[in-house]
Amino acid sequence: MTAKRLAWVGGFVILAVLPFFLGSYHNDVYRKLLLWITLALGYNFLFGICGQVAFSHFAFYGIGAYSVVILLFQLNLPFPVAIVLGVVICVVLALAVAIPATRLEGFYLALVTLALAQLFIVVLNEGGDVTGGTGGIANYRLPPIFGWRIAGPSYTVVIVALLAATLAVLWRLDHSWFGRACRAVRDNPEAAAAMGVDVARTKVIVFTLTSALAGIAGMVYAFVDNTVNPPIFGLDNAFLILFMVIVGGAGRHAGAAIGAILLFLLPFWLSPLVGHHHQLVFGLLVVAAILLQPKGLIGLWDRFSR
Amino acid sequence: MRDLLELAVSATASGCIYGLIALAYLLMIRPTGIINFAVGEWAMVAAFGGHLLLYRYEWPYALGMAAVVAFMMLVGWGTERVAVRPLVEKGAPLLAPILALLGVLVVTREVISVSFPPDPLPVPFPFGIGRLEIGPVGGSYQSFFIIVVTLLVFAGMWFFFEKTLWGKSFEAVALNRRAAALMGINLSRVTALSFAGGAGAAGLAGLLVSPNISAHYLMGVPLAIQGFTALVVGGVGRVEGALLGGLLLAFAEQFIARYAPIPSGYTQGVPLLFLMIFLLVRPTGLLRARA
Amino acid sequence: MGSILEVRRLTKRFGGLTAVAGLDFDLREGEILGVIGPNGAGKTTTFNIIAGTYDADEGEIRFAGQPILGLAPHRIARLGIMRTFQHNRPFSGMPVLDNVMVGAHTRFSKNVFSRKAANEERFQRRRAEELVEFVGLAGLRDADVGTLSFGQGRLLEIARALAGEPRVILFDEPAAGLTPAELDRLGGIIRGIAQRGIAVLLIEHDMRFLLPLASRVVVLNFGARIAEGTPQEVRSQPAVMEAYLGDAAAL
Repeated sequence: MTAKRLAWVGGFVILAVLPFFLGSYHNDVYRKLLLWITLALGYNFLFGICGQVAFSHFAFYGIGAYSVVILLFQLNLPFPVAIVLGVVICVVLALAVAIPATRLEGFYLALVTLALAQLFIVVLNEGGDVTGGTGGIANYRLPPIFGWRIAGPSYTVVIVALLAATLAVLWRLDHSWFGRACRAVRDNPEAAAAMGVDVARTKVIVFTLTSALAGIAGMVYAFVDNTVNPPIFGLDNAFLILFMVIVGGAGRHAGAAIGAILLFLLPFWLSPLVGHHHQLVFGLLVVAAILLQPKGLIGLWDRFSR
Repeated sequence: MRDLLELAVSATASGCIYGLIALAYLLMIRPTGIINFAVGEWAMVAAFGGHLLLYRYEWPYALGMAAVVAFMMLVGWGTERVAVRPLVEKGAPLLAPILALLGVLVVTREVISVSFPPDPLPVPFPFGIGRLEIGPVGGSYQSFFIIVVTLLVFAGMWFFFEKTLWGKSFEAVALNRRAAALMGINLSRVTALSFAGGAGAAGLAGLLVSPNISAHYLMGVPLAIQGFTALVVGGVGRVEGALLGGLLLAFAEQFIARYAPIPSGYTQGVPLLFLMIFLLVRPTGLLRARA
Repeated sequence: MGSILEVRRLTKRFGGLTAVAGLDFDLREGEILGVIGPNGAGKTTTFNIIAGTYDADEGEIRFAGQPILGLAPHRIARLGIMRTFQHNRPFSGMPVLDNVMVGAHTRFSKNVFSRKAANEERFQRRRAEELVEFVGLAGLRDADVGTLSFGQGRLLEIARALAGEPRVILFDEPAAGLTPAELDRLGGIIRGIAQRGIAVLLIEHDMRFLLPLASRVVVLNFGARIAEGTPQEVRSQPAVMEAYLGDAAAL
């Protein structure tokens, strides 16, 4: 048990040391990869483990990013206040959506959250000076934190820490009564209720938690490109995150991570072949996964490693 | 007053488009429970079909229109065969075909985006550009064309469901799949037909709307959302509900855009707000109709 | 023995149909109470009202003196009333042992991040293993629930309900769909449950299964109690014979 824990810690230490050996381009790619894995892990908890299809996950990523930037640079709030307030905004918005929306069955939640995601883009585009309109907000820098200026590879370490913390929280929840309750809600809500699981409450908690985690990841992302603009948070990426989890293997942390890595890196290899049309390959992968391998790549791995 | 009637005609026309998309959803949801979000992409494909046949190859309109709709029905039938039937036969949860269709949505869009230039492409008007005045009521030829075609489609649908054996078997499947199967109704044939019909209706909507907005590979998702909103507003219980929902939505959209004191960009948010409010306030009506 | 579950004047109407009409009965501590009656007598409706799936129009249900009518199903489970489903409803994405552990949902303290949580988890896993063994699925604890037979699925339902450490367990037609060999085993398990001091309420259609098993029987017809007593007493009452007329072979 402790050996296992040591292996995990060692693994994350390697992930954290790696950026110091990478150039700035590869640091950038690496950061985005880590963020996608973080997002996919959260989305997997919502969709793969708790069975809720929502398209708002990426919107919350955007809400987190925009919130922290607006709070810091439009309202000039101190850094800790901006961070706390940003999280509060994500949680309050997520609750406001979750309490009514999680009552909806099946795919209707997906459609409400799809509308929410679209509405978010409309607000960003029309937000005038507050959101910077279609051009977004750019040319800001992460302020010094308690006198420290975190930049370059050290900021990549922050993202590794974010990934580690997200995984630790989700892993702990998953391997407890709470994770089992979520899976029970996914598999058979009526039986879950008969076992004492408060189905509505479980859904609300999971939606709020995973949305807030996405928001926090978005706050971290805001200082990766040092620009936030509407196209980044559009619908394509909301679909992409769903596809990552399906292709990798819904319901499994490793599956979500594999899916995120594959679909993030695939365009780099595919672009000589299909140019900007890597989404075509994603779509085909998703259809193939659902038809042929519903447990995703991780299920395939299980089958061959046995 | 004239202004108001003009606005009403144009709102009715876009309401008809939404109604047709809502009808497409409805045809597939009723017998299968599957929400096929790819209907927007089907409308988009039909718009490109219209561009190809009617603009580039200059086919006569009626022939081109028939060819596009027939092709779309084939697309719907094929989609059902490839992405839905294997899952239904395997007894997969309802979510599986819905998600597979999202994959199909992306593939469809990318195939079009690979095959055509990225700019909006023209689709001709069947009667050219011009205005028709009937007493105080005035509007473009296209508006009246859309309204007439849509009314014919809905009349046909009404006849199909009320008066034909096929339509009745559709309803039987919608009410209870197992009982319908026991009655000797061929479930997979009804499902295939519902997808063919859904694609036909969505394709017709795409073809009718495309002269005004041009064929573009990103036109699908907004249409899919507007159509679904119309469906939610009208309810999935009855075919007429789709048209009613579409009209309500379009009137709300256009009258808010014209008269409400909000910035013009925000009017894009109207159908989204409509959708959220209706789903959240009246979810029970929806769920009951699904069961 | 005192009553753990008291049902009083319970009435439920569906439109014009009165499914349950002023029903009264008690479930006593540690007993196996059978509720029988012809099809349409209101058995399943009564079951669903106790389990919290339906609300009643009139009446009262008390569990250990506390009114529970109208509580949501998860609250009723939390109080210590667990149930099985007639059509097995396993959690298909989890192995057998985890299915049973979902049944222990109400037995955990809330904080999953505390040190205590890990101990609880180990403790409940051991208990779940015991329960899996108790119902006779020991060899299948890591199996995918999709691979279980119908009879094994029924046993899983029971282990899962027991994991909640109930004071009352409700069985919804547990004999339905089982083979004679499986029925034998089920009878033994239900006796074992009663011996653990858990009160058993059995809604059952199969009289040959129920009568040898039950300590007492309540007979329903048209939503009301027409007889009550030991299986021997009930068997000889003319009202029961009449209700089952045409189904006399069942007696």
